[in-house]
Amino acid sequence: MVSALDRKLLREVRATGAMLIAITSIIAVGVMCFVYMRSAYYNLSLAKFRYYNQCRMADFWIEVKKAPLVDVDRLIDVPGVTAIRPRIQFFATVDLERVIAPLNGLVLSLPDLRKPIINDIVMQSGGYFTDRRANEVIVNSAFARKHGIRPGHTIHLLLNNRRQELHVVGTAISSEFVYLVSPGSLAPDPEHFGVFYIKRTYAEEVFDFEGATNQIVGLLDPAHKETPGEVLRRMEVMLEPYGVATSYGLRTQTSNQFLSDEIQGLGVFSTIMPAIFLAVAALVLNVLMIRLIDQQRTIIGTLKALGYYDSQIFLHYTKFAMAVGLFASLIGLGLGYAMSHFVLSIYKMFYEFPSLENHIFPGTYLGGVAVAVLCALIGSLQAARLGLSLKPAEAMRPKPPPQGGEIWLEHFSGFWSRLSFGWRLVLRNVFRHKLRTSVGIFATSLGAGLLTCGFILTSAIAFLINFQFELVTRSDVDLHFKDEQGRPALLEAANLPGVSLAEPQFDVSCTFVNGPHRRRGAISGLLPHSQLTTPRDVDGERVRIPSVGLAMSSKLAEILHLRPGDHVTVLPTQGRREELHVPVTALSDSYIGMAVYADIDYLSHLMGEEFAVTGVQLAVDGGELQRNSLYREIKQLPGVQSVNVRADVIRNMEFIVETQRIFIVFVVLFAGVIFFSSLLNSSLVGLAERRREVATFRVLGYNEWQVGGLFLRESLVVNSLGTLLGLPLGYALAWVLARVYDTEMFRFPLVAPTWVWYAAVGMAIVFALTAHAVVQRAINRLDWLDASKTKE
Amino acid sequence: MSASGPATESGTLLQIEDVGKTFQMGEVAVEVLRDISFDVRRGELLVMVGPSGSGKTTLLNIMGGLDTPTVGDIWYGEQNLAVASPRELTRYRREHVGFVFQFYNLVPNLTARENVFVATEISKKPLDVDETLEMVGLGERMDHFPSQLSGGEQQRVAIARALAKNPQLLLCDEPTGALDYETGKNMLRLLVDLSNTLGKTILIITHNTAIAPVANRVIRLRSGEIHEVHDNPHPQPPEEITW
Repeated sequence: MVSALDRKLLREVRATGAMLIAITSIIAVGVMCFVYMRSAYYNLSLAKFRYYNQCRMADFWIEVKKAPLVDVDRLIDVPGVTAIRPRIQFFATVDLERVIAPLNGLVLSLPDLRKPIINDIVMQSGGYFTDRRANEVIVNSAFARKHGIRPGHTIHLLLNNRRQELHVVGTAISSEFVYLVSPGSLAPDPEHFGVFYIKRTYAEEVFDFEGATNQIVGLLDPAHKETPGEVLRRMEVMLEPYGVATSYGLRTQTSNQFLSDEIQGLGVFSTIMPAIFLAVAALVLNVLMIRLIDQQRTIIGTLKALGYYDSQIFLHYTKFAMAVGLFASLIGLGLGYAMSHFVLSIYKMFYEFPSLENHIFPGTYLGGVAVAVLCALIGSLQAARLGLSLKPAEAMRPKPPPQGGEIWLEHFSGFWSRLSFGWRLVLRNVFRHKLRTSVGIFATSLGAGLLTCGFILTSAIAFLINFQFELVTRSDVDLHFKDEQGRPALLEAANLPGVSLAEPQFDVSCTFVNGPHRRRGAISGLLPHSQLTTPRDVDGERVRIPSVGLAMSSKLAEILHLRPGDHVTVLPTQGRREELHVPVTALSDSYIGMAVYADIDYLSHLMGEEFAVTGVQLAVDGGELQRNSLYREIKQLPGVQSVNVRADVIRNMEFIVETQRIFIVFVVLFAGVIFFSSLLNSSLVGLAERRREVATFRVLGYNEWQVGGLFLRESLVVNSLGTLLGLPLGYALAWVLARVYDTEMFRFPLVAPTWVWYAAVGMAIVFALTAHAVVQRAINRLDWLDASKTKE
Repeated sequence: MSASGPATESGTLLQIEDVGKTFQMGEVAVEVLRDISFDVRRGELLVMVGPSGSGKTTLLNIMGGLDTPTVGDIWYGEQNLAVASPRELTRYRREHVGFVFQFYNLVPNLTARENVFVATEISKKPLDVDETLEMVGLGERMDHFPSQLSGGEQQRVAIARALAKNPQLLLCDEPTGALDYETGKNMLRLLVDLSNTLGKTILIITHNTAIAPVANRVIRLRSGEIHEVHDNPHPQPPEEITW
């Protein structure tokens, strides 16, 4: 049977009304963040783990120019290596009949007959290769989906300068390409980039690779999985004669890095976000509970007089808070489950798994309930203890009137005397209720911080796109050649239809060494006054390409501990492969990758060439018709390995921005919950305490709006102070995030245009006014004649 | 400290010896009770009268185990309440005392019946809740909330709550103070009946001297001291008194 006290509890919980909704919503959002972020974290981790196992995900990748299989097989003897698989890998352009624009692809060899291999595929439709024809292909699912390619179709790829017809036998995915991006880009673009698996024997034939390989993937023993550096170096030494282009471990493999960073980020945020909300909830609950205990002084005294033990009374009041915590957490669990579902559906747009389901992890859900109840308990402890400290006889007496007296502002008599009576009342209330005011300021500063940080992140992506694709890279179409070419290739490109400007680019992949510091990278040789790639410094000012030496990205210079004027050792992984010592003449900035620029003549000379190009950048005039004829011509060009169209890249980046906008909406909503709930709670507690004061004003002839105005002013004072603190807090939070996401692949700019501040302040005011609307309604409905008799 | 030792006589329920109480108000010590000594006899209806500030409520609190004296002893059987721990005092209140307050002190969120349950749930030998409410004349209205009851009805709930625990001692602090004349007299009638029929020991404190004639014994307090104690072998029925 429910005890009489428990019944009292239930009725009181219900009677707290709007205040209860306020606290419940903060706790619920906290639990929701906890549940959805932890759920997404575990579900992504689980999907990754299963998928990697299913495909036997490699621990390392080594790319070479061309190595004989007999020599590669000896790599298995390197200590730490447990399995290897040599394969053939090439970039190719894809020609689909219905698509005018040229598309890019990565071609990979697979065994002719199905067998368990490292970096295996998971078939999604159709089947594995048959022995009916040599030219069969398995297409990655996302590309196939985008273009409606199904088993039985034929497609054309430009393989080794020859247009080849391939028969699609199936579609598949692989753990190597959970996050499939073309080299140098940030977002998956399944429309313009695909993976094409062909038979090993067929690859040997079309690429002239009989008995040879250009990429080795393999597994390491557990001792070397996390730190593959030494093993990789040994293998590189063995492969040195065959031109090692690059080698990397699982940790820095592009797809894995994006996925793992995301999972790690979720792990971090699943702690920070709930902590913010639950801390605010505990404080707000604390204010409410202290008010409740205050209000129930005589009830506590009566219970004590009736013979209730302190422990029973303590339990009674903590139960109240725990009931609120439990109720809110149940709502949070429901919302968390739905949100987790939604977030995973967003992830599915970027990450391709055989299955990514919204499993319920009981530990996470129980954890959500536990942290909510714990937070409620913490929020109620101080108040419940206050209740205990009351002696029964003392509790029976009415509370002594609240202390009046001056606040410190009144010492500034010049200022104080100029204030209206209303403002004096407002300021005295704000400064006398120190706990309530502090909690309000703390909560609103966190809310404003969240808003500011969210807005800064939004503007960062827009800034990045503008910086990278309007300021630095300005070409409309980029052609990359399979091999080095000479001047004629540039001229040919310049004569393509619609091309108004063609500039050469000469990319040399190499290793940069400065003492113990080394990094793989590439140098881009450009015209000294190139129009289509213009390196910039952090302020967006153009960095001149030096006639001697390198203009290096400041991130790479930082990693290599280099300053302008220093010399860096360059070990080219192509051409003559002679060690070079080159000065670093200037620094440039970029947010994607770590570009290094040089004068194309200077770089050609260093490499012992007269004039070499590996790509051409094009500025294109004219409309769609001209574009289409350009694309048709490009498709016919031999030697083109990939074609990038700037408009597609930007469109793709904007898709990320669109997705991000959804999350910003959530951030604004969450911040709103904090603002709204904390201000509402504080005002309603104030109103409950000052019912008689309100009634007196009404008796004196003030109307309800004038009385409401006093409460609004109090809210705005607290809200303004909190927001003022929240703005720098949000900036600091964005700064921390910028540091966390400062990787070699990607950095995000910390920019805060004026609109960020206006928007944060504007939203803060909107939330304050919304909360006040509820308070005003309570004032309008207050039976002030009755309230004037309130026993205080 | 104790001159006569524990109250062992079968007729004495509570023995108050040389009790004094001083409150520290900031830097000022205010002595509200001084040299109070008297016995409470089993089954008597005792009225303690005195003007505001005479120390009545403080004395009632001390006798009810809500507070402890600064000096002196209060013997309840073998137990000296003056030196009892808070837990022992709680047990004393729980098992032996019932309080009736001037402003009833009902829990607003509980019905009349539930307000009584609050007390019986922690009692060892409680009376039946519904019967007790019927006894105080609230049989028809026991599912009403305090806000739906008149002052007199609320005070009846408070009395039922105190009674239902089946305590030895009923302590009533100005039980008619918040009631109108007629209701106040009805309330006195109820208390007198309870004393007569159930044999409960009842202590009423009041500033209203007109109430005194209903008692078996009257103690007058003035400025924290006992001014006068007199036995009343022929108590008047409440209907005959006026104020």
